[in-house]
Order: sequence, then structure tokens, then C-alpha cells
Amino acid sequence: MANPEPDSDSKAGTSRDDLVQRLELMEQLIAEGRQTTMRCGWIFVLWGLVDLAGMGWQTELPHSQWVWPTCLGTGVILQVIGLALWKRSRPRCKGVQSRSVQAVWSMMGLAMVIYVFTALFTHFAWQYSYLSALLIIVGLAHAISAMILRWPVQGVVAAIWWAGAVAILVCNSFRAANLIFLIEMCFGMIAFGLYVMWLEGRNHDGLKGARA
Amino acid sequence: MTNLEQGNGTSRDDLLQRLALMETMIAEGRRNTGRFGWVFILWGLVCLSGIGGSYLWPQSYWVWPILIGSGFLIQFLGIAMHRRSGSWPSDSIKSRSVAAVWRMMGIAIILYAAPATVTHTIHQIAYIAAIFMFLGMAHATSAMILRWRAQGVVAGLWWAGGVATYFVPRDYVIAIYVAEMICCMVLFGVYAMMLERRRAAGALQDQVEHHA
Repeated sequence: MANPEPDSDSKAGTSRDDLVQRLELMEQLIAEGRQTTMRCGWIFVLWGLVDLAGMGWQTELPHSQWVWPTCLGTGVILQVIGLALWKRSRPRCKGVQSRSVQAVWSMMGLAMVIYVFTALFTHFAWQYSYLSALLIIVGLAHAISAMILRWPVQGVVAAIWWAGAVAILVCNSFRAANLIFLIEMCFGMIAFGLYVMWLEGRNHDGLKGARA
Repeated sequence: MTNLEQGNGTSRDDLLQRLALMETMIAEGRRNTGRFGWVFILWGLVCLSGIGGSYLWPQSYWVWPILIGSGFLIQFLGIAMHRRSGSWPSDSIKSRSVAAVWRMMGIAIILYAAPATVTHTIHQIAYIAAIFMFLGMAHATSAMILRWRAQGVVAGLWWAGGVATYFVPRDYVIAIYVAEMICCMVLFGVYAMMLERRRAAGALQDQVEHHA
């Protein structure tokens, strides 16, 4: 473990070995944090599909008030079941970076639930600022996670979400907003989820190969 | 505890050391938030001045851009002075995570507010609620990383304000905004600075006693 106390042997107060040890710890924590995100790739895919299903259903039944509550409720139930199964099969990661990333995503989820359900309940979900805010919140979670894990790919995904949010405000049309949502769900959610699942699979195979 | 040593190679001392490191990082993270308490006060006052300015000159488009620009200028100057004085916060993992949360939140708000101002979408209820949600999310994430209940309460207040804006009549939204700025920005900033000052005074007293 890194020693928080300064080393009296060196002028700067920290020896080279100590610095190397700290750097290794940091790298290990970052790798652990990325691993946690990779293991959760299925959640991105799940929510991408849930949102696409909601959009498709809404096109079929444009006046139904039950489309989004039903879709989002189903998504939450599927995620809870998936997480319960996942926790049983895999040990929990307890690295500092992993905890920070978990904090980001769980608070993003909570903020989203509060914001979305209140807007749906009070019938404000048609406003452009509402649609844009949804993309900003998801982009914010990606951006924080990318900065903590120093992961450029996730940073690019954050930028895609934020670009979509700005575009919705600038375009000011429902057709454009729907198209932007569709693109975001395909690239920011499903494609990113599949990418991290592929990375996780590759790491898993690598580990298996190393053990064999 | 001997079981631990044999079971997974983690000794009691190692666990204690890790625990101490975690506690040090959490304390450091909180201390850094305290050192930046003035930023909360600054932005609380900027937003309150904006409300006052809009009330005095309701037709002017320049009130918010001027005030927000001044806010950034003062913040940059303050940070530069911080760096020069040598009181720049340490770079522990928790502090970096919390810094990532606040930096990205700042970028997200700029990306959301600037196009909304240009496209005149800021009068929408969902816009004001979204701003409260972003701030609540940043506080909640930081509170979860630092295990800081007081900040968790502040996050709850932001979210409660976000929900309330959907339900109250339009005239009361401004009252909620002012109340949030006073309680969650200015008062929280004062509280965080007070805690940091008290801690610094305690540390100084300990040093004096140690020398004596």
C-alpha cells in the first residue's frame, strides 16, 4: 500500500520506490474501475433497447400516457433482476475508483428517476429543455466517469451525448429531437454497451488463457 | 484475523492500513470541498444578483451574460490566488474524483444554459428543474464519495426544489430558486468554509502544543 507519510530519506519527502508504488496503486485502481464499467455493459444495452422500444411504441400510440411509465418500469425491474444475478455470480469490486464510478452512476440513475417521473406526472415531458436535460445528465455521468478512469473512449461518448443535447435546443423541432434521440440510443447506449462488453469478453478470455 | 491472513493473503495490519488510507482520503476530500466553499458562495451570490438584475431591468438580455462572465472571472482569479498562496488542495484519489464531478458539472451547465439562453428556452419549467437536478446530482455524487451526510442533505434539497418547480404555480418558482441559492449555495459554502477553518485552527493548536 502507498504510505501517506513522507519519507525522510529523500529531499522531496517521498522516495522513488514510494512514488512508483503509489503510481502502481493508482493504475491498478483505474484498471479496476474500468473493469467495473465493462462488467456493466449490458445495462447500457438494456436501456438503449428500452428507450428504442418506448420510442417505437410512442409512434404507434402517440396519445397513450402509459408508454413511457410501462417501458421505464420494465427497464428498472430488468436491471434490478440483472444486478441481483450479477452480484451472485461475481465478487464486488471495492477499489476507490470503482466506488466513485458506482456513486456517479447510481446518483445519475436516482436523479433521472426523480426528473423523468415528475415531468411525466405533471405533463411537462414535451418541452425541449426536458429532452435536452436527459441527454445532458447521461453525458455528465459519462464525462465524470471518463475523467475518473482516464478513459478517452468514454469521454467521446460523453461528448456525443452533450452534442445531442445542444442540437435539440438549437433545432427546436420534434422531428429533429426524435432523430437525435434515436442516434444517441444507438451510438451512446447500445454501441457503447456492446463495445465495453466486447472489451470485457476479451479481458476474460485473456485471463483464462493466462491461467491455462 | 489469522484466517484472513491464510485465506486471501490480507493481514490485519494491511487492512488497518488500508482503512486508515481510506479515512485519510475521505478527510482530504472533505477538506478540499471546504477550501472551495467560497466558490459556492460566489455562484450563489452571482445567481441571486442575476435575479435582482432581471427584476430591475426585465427587458435587458445582458444581465445574465454579464453576471455569469464576472462570476467566471472572479473564480479564475480566486483559483489563481489559491495556487499562488500554496494552499492548492492535494491530489488524492478521492479529491480527484470530487474535482472531476464539479468540473464536469460546470461544463454540463454551460453547455445546457448557453444554447437555452440563445434559443429562449429558459422560460420552460423543465429548464429550471434540470438545473436543480444537475446541481443535486453533483452534490449527491460528491456526498456518496466522501460519505458526507451534510452534503447529502444539500443534494436532497436541490432535488426537492427540482420536483417542487413542476408542481407550484409559475410565480412561486422564483421563490424556490432564491431559497435554493441561499440555503444550498451560500449557506452550504459558509458551512464548508467554517468546518475547514475550524479544522485548520485545531491543527495549528496541535502543532503549538506539540512544540511546547
